[in-house]
Amino acid sequence: MMKFLSKVGDYARDAVQAAKYIGQGMAVTFDHMQRRPITVRYPYEKLIPSERFRGRIHFEFDKCISCEVCVRVCPINLPVVDWEYNAEIKKKELKHYSIDFGVCIFCGNCVEYCPTNCLSMTEEYDLSTFDRHELNFDNVALGRLPSKVTDDAMVTPIRELAYLPKGVMEGHRADHTERRAGKLPVEIIEAAQEQAEN
Amino acid sequence: MNGIDLQQSFVGLLTGLGLTQGVARAVWMPLPMLLVVLVVTVGALASTWLERKISAAAQQRIGPEYAGPFGLAIPAADVVKLLIKQTTVPAQSDPLLFVLGPVIVFISVFLSFLVIPFGQNLVISDVTTGVFLVIAISSIAPIGLLMAGYSSNNKYSLLGGLRAAAQSISYEIPLALAALAVVMMSNNLSTIDIVNQQAGLGILSWNVWRQPIGFVIFMIAVLAECERIPFDLPEAEEELVAGYQTEYSGVNFMLFYGASYANLFLSALLVAILYLGGWELPFPIDRVAEIFRIPESSTIWQIVAAFLGVTMILLKAFAFIFLAILLRWTVPRVRIDQLLDLGWKFLLPIGLVNLLITAALKLAFPVAFGG
Repeated sequence: MMKFLSKVGDYARDAVQAAKYIGQGMAVTFDHMQRRPITVRYPYEKLIPSERFRGRIHFEFDKCISCEVCVRVCPINLPVVDWEYNAEIKKKELKHYSIDFGVCIFCGNCVEYCPTNCLSMTEEYDLSTFDRHELNFDNVALGRLPSKVTDDAMVTPIRELAYLPKGVMEGHRADHTERRAGKLPVEIIEAAQEQAEN
Repeated sequence: MNGIDLQQSFVGLLTGLGLTQGVARAVWMPLPMLLVVLVVTVGALASTWLERKISAAAQQRIGPEYAGPFGLAIPAADVVKLLIKQTTVPAQSDPLLFVLGPVIVFISVFLSFLVIPFGQNLVISDVTTGVFLVIAISSIAPIGLLMAGYSSNNKYSLLGGLRAAAQSISYEIPLALAALAVVMMSNNLSTIDIVNQQAGLGILSWNVWRQPIGFVIFMIAVLAECERIPFDLPEAEEELVAGYQTEYSGVNFMLFYGASYANLFLSALLVAILYLGGWELPFPIDRVAEIFRIPESSTIWQIVAAFLGVTMILLKAFAFIFLAILLRWTVPRVRIDQLLDLGWKFLLPIGLVNLLITAALKLAFPVAFGG
């Protein structure tokens, strides 16, 4: 009889405990409902890409010396460099240059190794097209200046966590022009120089 | 306790226009049916919208936003989409059973609304065996689920159908036992009389206070009957794709989808009727009328009272739906053995004990427990 009663007691305790834990869990779920959505409503709001963002590659035609280093460092030899040797000036003359962004993995090797810095990474990332062949950018398309999220009047720019002001945890809560937490690289250098002078 | 009687006034109006009593009644008959089907459909659609919005809020998302204000048009868009989609029937399935399955489930759920009152006279028919009828009809649904699972010619569907049948059958018993305790207290199976028996002292006279254990059992059993998380084993998407719904598309899928939300709405209304005083306000509305010296028979007062009643019952029902959705994002799915354990080894004995205690209390305190 005692054994049965103690079993019933155990069972009751388990049930109460389970109810308690479910209640705690419900409280957590309920608390989440009043929090601000963290999602970015993409076409209307966009995240500002970070400083090291590797987006569409920008190419400056006039700087290029047709050395083909970008082709050699590319994991799949993607850039197409079409040049001709001009015997009069004894130099290579660039005719066309193109990168197919449907195949590019945005590793940034070409940008890293380019001896004349004619390649650079931009913060453009929405390259979708209706036809994949349109992703094959020629030197004209590659030379277009990148559009900035902060310049688009239709878009509300939202900053990522690391670029928010001190104490703010959500990008929606701060305007993108507000000063971010910590010092800018320029300020760090200035402070170091001042310290060295003193 | 009489409220407005729409039937009487409508029939009176028609007989005044020169129709016979019989014709007037025949003209009246389809009206409440159409109205209730409409209310249920809107209720189910509202539940889908709530499910999306509350789920989104619980996950710090926004949810449907651009289809109408606050995404309110999204259920309509869903319906239109599913109507336009092709209904496919899998190869080597049983086409008759395959189509019949969702229809049976859908009809059985909508039929239960026959006895669900939204107010004193706002019910299709006040059957004297109301609660019994609901429980009886709700056990037809598993047949449809089993049909759907068996005819689909698909392992997932079959497993889901079998699970649905096992789950529905095992949770019907605690559900019936919990309802039986309420029925015993009110000496009546009619849903309207059960609500009326909870009137008088406002929130204090609701059945929750007299049947706390029964209330919890009923809520758990109802969640299992609706196949909602944590009891959504029949559709467990991680293991069974979509259970018995796997092979369904288009209109047939819509029947299942609509039936599941209509079932949730039905269960919420049942909880409100059996335990939360149905259309009664948290304070006795008759006393308010007395205080302000409004005659209870005045038309305006009756319309206001009926309106408040419908609002109250819908409020209670949607509070339960809200709780169910919140629970969905809180608890994980139970295993099939845990599910059956909970049903047979926990809810069933406790339901029986609850019934015995209710019977004893009824004999001991006939005033409080409806002797």
